[in-house]
Amino acid sequence: MKAVCWMGTSDVQTLTVEDPAILNPHDAILKITRTAICGSDLHLYDGFIPTMESGDILGHEFMGIVEDVGREVTNLQRGDRVVVPFTIACGDCIFCTKKIWSACDNTNPNAHLMEAAYGYSGSGLFGYSHMMGGYAGGQAQYVRVPFANVGPLKIESDLPDEKVLFLSDRVHGRRKRSDSRR
Amino acid sequence: MERALSEKPNAEKVSQSGVAGIVLDGHYLPPPVDKDGKQWVRTSALILRPPSELYELWRDVEKAPLWQEQITEVRVTGPKTSHWIMLTGDDSGKSIEWDSEVLNDEPDKGIAWSSVEGDSNNAGEVIFATAPGERGTIVTVLQEFRMSKLASAWETLTGRNPKQVIIENLRHFKALAETGEIPRIEGQPHGPRRTTGKAKKSLYGETIATPTGGQRTAG
Repeated sequence: MKAVCWMGTSDVQTLTVEDPAILNPHDAILKITRTAICGSDLHLYDGFIPTMESGDILGHEFMGIVEDVGREVTNLQRGDRVVVPFTIACGDCIFCTKKIWSACDNTNPNAHLMEAAYGYSGSGLFGYSHMMGGYAGGQAQYVRVPFANVGPLKIESDLPDEKVLFLSDRVHGRRKRSDSRR
Repeated sequence: MERALSEKPNAEKVSQSGVAGIVLDGHYLPPPVDKDGKQWVRTSALILRPPSELYELWRDVEKAPLWQEQITEVRVTGPKTSHWIMLTGDDSGKSIEWDSEVLNDEPDKGIAWSSVEGDSNNAGEVIFATAPGERGTIVTVLQEFRMSKLASAWETLTGRNPKQVIIENLRHFKALAETGEIPRIEGQPHGPRRTTGKAKKSLYGETIATPTGGQRTAG
């Protein structure tokens, strides 16, 4: 697939990379239909965010059509049209049960890096440095969405993409606690 | 407040600026050493599950490779004993093996263990305490190691030192217990990493395989 890769300060390129795959049972793969560049992408572009590495795929405002789901994903199926929020949240930790999604305890695989910088780790983010999880972002043809039961907001009306895309920087789809626990 | 901001919640002070700071940022310093040469690590986590469930998950040692880093196999050899095989933390591909024995086993409350023979000299304890206000369980892990300071420093630079392994393992345990999976980015697409990107992979700890959580779906 084609993806927008951060290759260094003021150096962003559209490159051909591998397609994303389902890596965990709560993952979903989206085919991106619209994605936006955020003001906060400028911090990355200008090189102000530590732990960005060449090759990182950018993009945290995106929407698309569900292409594939992991076997524990219960509320999405192939063909659903969804907007995905910036913050990745598990839905099961104490912060998620209080809807403080951006403080999720369980979605940052590089939590030790964020601890070093902030004192305590928050949730993982799409396309926003290794410290924030190192997840590949959505300025690409396809994206992997972890914990897809929790974040994605289904768009079942005929509103055009441009009218709903910007929910991605704010809104969390999930409103009740996940029932996907062991 | 000042103290809270300058301290990682389950580790030492954030490293100072300068060359040492740059090298160690994102790593945990080697664990403190007692007078008798024993290194020790203590960490804790608040897990939103009942103590009984967490005790069972921890006590099922053959499942340890699903959530403990570098552990490749655990075999139960008796009611209280088990045999452990682990990759060394320095990314060399070598394995170490040892036998472990449970010293104290209190269902739903805690487990204490010690190595009895083999390549690793370690002992540890985990305590499951009900947290107030229906907030699940406070899990506290205390582990001790005897290994050379040099080996510990080497692992600090190249992979994970024993302290970080314990802290990361508890994070994996929490994620597995609460969500049923361990967050991972290994295997996702990226563009060319170039020289610095490759060098920093080890610094970020991304050369250490994330445990699968046992439910990995083929991609």
